[in-house]
Amino acid sequence: MAPFRTQHQTNRNAAGGPSLPMMPPIIHSSEGPVMAKADTIDHGVTEAPYERGFSPYDFNGGTTLAIAGPDYAVVAADTRLSSGYEILSRNVSKLHALTDGCVLGSAGCKTDVDQLRSVLDIKQKIYHHNHRKQMSTPSVAQMLGNTLYYKRFFPYYAFNVLGGVDAEGKGAVYSYDAIGSFERTGYSATGSGQAYIIPLLDNVIGHKNRADENRDLPAEEVVEIVKDAFVTAGERDIYTGDAVEIMVITKDGIQTTTFDLKRD
Amino acid sequence: MSILEYNGAAMIAMAGKDCVGIAADRRLGIQAQTVSTDFTKVFKMNDNIHVGLGGLATDVQTLHNVLKFRMGLYELREEREMTPQVFSHLLSTLLYEKRFGPYFVEPIVAGLDDKNKPFLSSMDLIGAPVQTKDFVVSGTCTGNLYGMCETLYKPDLEADALFETLAQALLASVDRDALSGWGGVVHIITKDGVTTRELKGRQD
Repeated sequence: MAPFRTQHQTNRNAAGGPSLPMMPPIIHSSEGPVMAKADTIDHGVTEAPYERGFSPYDFNGGTTLAIAGPDYAVVAADTRLSSGYEILSRNVSKLHALTDGCVLGSAGCKTDVDQLRSVLDIKQKIYHHNHRKQMSTPSVAQMLGNTLYYKRFFPYYAFNVLGGVDAEGKGAVYSYDAIGSFERTGYSATGSGQAYIIPLLDNVIGHKNRADENRDLPAEEVVEIVKDAFVTAGERDIYTGDAVEIMVITKDGIQTTTFDLKRD
Repeated sequence: MSILEYNGAAMIAMAGKDCVGIAADRRLGIQAQTVSTDFTKVFKMNDNIHVGLGGLATDVQTLHNVLKFRMGLYELREEREMTPQVFSHLLSTLLYEKRFGPYFVEPIVAGLDDKNKPFLSSMDLIGAPVQTKDFVVSGTCTGNLYGMCETLYKPDLEADALFETLAQALLASVDRDALSGWGGVVHIITKDGVTTRELKGRQD
């Protein structure tokens, strides 16, 4: 008659089937605290309320950045994959070449990023089959915007930045929000470290608040600026670090380099 | 809406070669509405100490008055000037006294100690202090400020170069924050005195 359960007793629910052997909640009744009956699960409705939850999203961290030049674009992202305070991998790419002329960088929820890339790859293949040519960068930009808006009411948790060369060979960068609003810009950064990087790009690439002469920067100098930016983000953002993958896109193709960061 | 983001602020203090600089924006707002474009957030406490108070404006002004009062008492009793280390510790104690009903201010202290070496410290709203050798930041756009300072900072900058670095770091950061900006003010403190310059940036 003791209210305490022994190990070899199995719980039965109201229908007579087995249920998980959990300790029932304590009810504070007029006779003092008493254990609830074993065969009723309250669900937090009439007795003490409790909350259960499932979130379909996880944040896997990381920072991406893209800069457009007169005849090139630079797209870069760190290679750390994290969840909470844990590092899941130090060597996962956030960059994906969709065509020979453009690269998509995405940070956010890895599974949504992977699915988004799959969908874009398939659409791009179909276009290629139908039109006998690769999609141009502005077309890819529009397609990505539309694909994101398609899931307006259950979004892809992906913060995207698209970099490439347009039909005239000039550098093009497009920035996105999670539900497909996009704009062609001269430079962009997204992800956990974007706050640390964007003001720097405003100053150095956008030449804001500067009195000295504005000049076009060659690709090599921009790559050095990108490395500096990631060193900064790696210092102050816990989700950014390990290494940076940098892709330089020109009309002749895509070149990739990797640069190590602090692993802390 | 956090109380610390009600009025808006951005401030940096940075160490150079035998000098320190401290800079802040000029905006005072009530959430989205800008109310003043010449609100002072950095205060000179004595020839060697400047304090930047960022956060709820009423607490900024009250805390400034409390600090002036306490400094005055110290100087009467001790018959000497306060050093930045002592000032920083005093501020930390004052804030912790209000542990369960705090001043909504996150201050930064910049000064030259009795050997004319740079001193920098910052604290949270309940007085947890941090002393650094390079720079400290506070305000509504700390992410932006940390990014700019981390990239632009070099050790042992001379007074003029320190001014340029502080100015660019502040202006670029506040231009990406809706709650701070409307110009800036930069104080460079050396053993020979304080040079104060106003910055004209985006007026929005």
